[in-house]
Amino acid sequence: MPIEKDIVSRAIKGDAEAFAELYEKYFGKIYRYVYLRTGNHAEAEDLAQEVFVKALEAIGSYRWRDIPFASWLFRIAHNQVVDHFRKHGKVERVELEDSVIAADEPSPALIAEQRFELRELRDNIGKLSPAQREVITLRFGAELSTAEVSEALGKNTGTVKALQYNGIVALRKLMLGDRER
Amino acid sequence: MNRKIEDILDECLDRAFAGDTVEDCLAAHPSEASELKQLLGTSSVVMQSCASIIPDPAFKVRAWHYLGAIFHDRFQRIKSTGAVPIWRRAWTMAMAGVLVVLLSCVAVLAASTSALPDEHLYPAKLAAEQVRMTLAFTDLDEAKLHLEFAERRAYEMVEVAQQGKADSLLALAGQVAEHLGEVCVTDETKGVMEEAAAALAPAASLSAETEDRDDGADVEDLGALLSQSREENLQALEDALARAPEALKPILRRTIDSVAKDYDRTISIVESGSSQ
Repeated sequence: MPIEKDIVSRAIKGDAEAFAELYEKYFGKIYRYVYLRTGNHAEAEDLAQEVFVKALEAIGSYRWRDIPFASWLFRIAHNQVVDHFRKHGKVERVELEDSVIAADEPSPALIAEQRFELRELRDNIGKLSPAQREVITLRFGAELSTAEVSEALGKNTGTVKALQYNGIVALRKLMLGDRER
Repeated sequence: MNRKIEDILDECLDRAFAGDTVEDCLAAHPSEASELKQLLGTSSVVMQSCASIIPDPAFKVRAWHYLGAIFHDRFQRIKSTGAVPIWRRAWTMAMAGVLVVLLSCVAVLAASTSALPDEHLYPAKLAAEQVRMTLAFTDLDEAKLHLEFAERRAYEMVEVAQQGKADSLLALAGQVAEHLGEVCVTDETKGVMEEAAAALAPAASLSAETEDRDDGADVEDLGALLSQSREENLQALEDALARAPEALKPILRRTIDSVAKDYDRTISIVESGSSQ
């Protein structure tokens, strides 16, 4: 973490190399988080880019002591997603495009299986409570620690852990239900 | 005091993200192993599915370039002095990683260099040009690339003229004009090139003007349109040459020669078609 603190400090001062490191580290995670929330490739691209534009505009006001950088960045991402749904009058969708799946898998059968699993996952995540969904997508999509998730959402870590536990239990039931059907 | 299952699950997930196996965690918490096994099994499925969500590398490069421009505007610490600004070098260094992936498509790109409009490798050729444009270090580099691509489009005009494809021909003439219109070199020459771009507008709209024409468009009209496009493009280039920075002048001269020759050959082919 001290290394990242140094990188963030340099980015705040206008060091492009430092900002590039942050972009490289977080772009994929932001994209994955947004994609899990929207289920749409093009929307995820636009929103992920917009998150970094917002981050760039606001990075001068960022203070490490208030909140970890990852939490700060994903708070922006969360707000972008919420704004996106509000602006477009949408509810979170459960359908999922196929085009986003990693294309370098060894066989068409495996790709098809992955697509199915991802569609099923997105479908099931959409059935969680909003709070569980937020925690699960930040924890698994963005790979944030529980502490970072709690800072991003403004909830205490005990609540986040409980939401995580209940979310995984609910997902398990939903997945088993899908298999039995 | 017994720890809550939520805490143990959280610890096991942290270990899983760090590379530990489910078995490692079950061994560390034997009394909760039964419930943990189910929860971690579900978690593994979620992790694997999430790992397969990857952004398009080409989009990542484009987004990076877009951010680079914003970054530059925000932190204008280095004025344009002819040297390569540090922020662009850093941006480009990091882009090199993404380029490794793109270069794996080098065989396709090599094969596409001679592709013409309507051929299946032509989009790869244009994509490769876009990548080169994205990686241009300076405004001057971008200007040089636009001139190079204008020359390419002019050369392609000759080829498609030989194939008798009037629609592609006029579309390419429009693209020549578009590339030349994009040559905004530096702050001091930007005004000049914008004037040039405005002068090019009639040529750029050639495609639109001819959209309603029949497939067997009158060849004489086609020749006249191409001649008009030639004059306007070359005049705009000459105007730009007179006021361009020294670094760009040799390339502008070469472009004028090359574009003029290609236009002449194209017009000749079109007119010889009309006399047959």
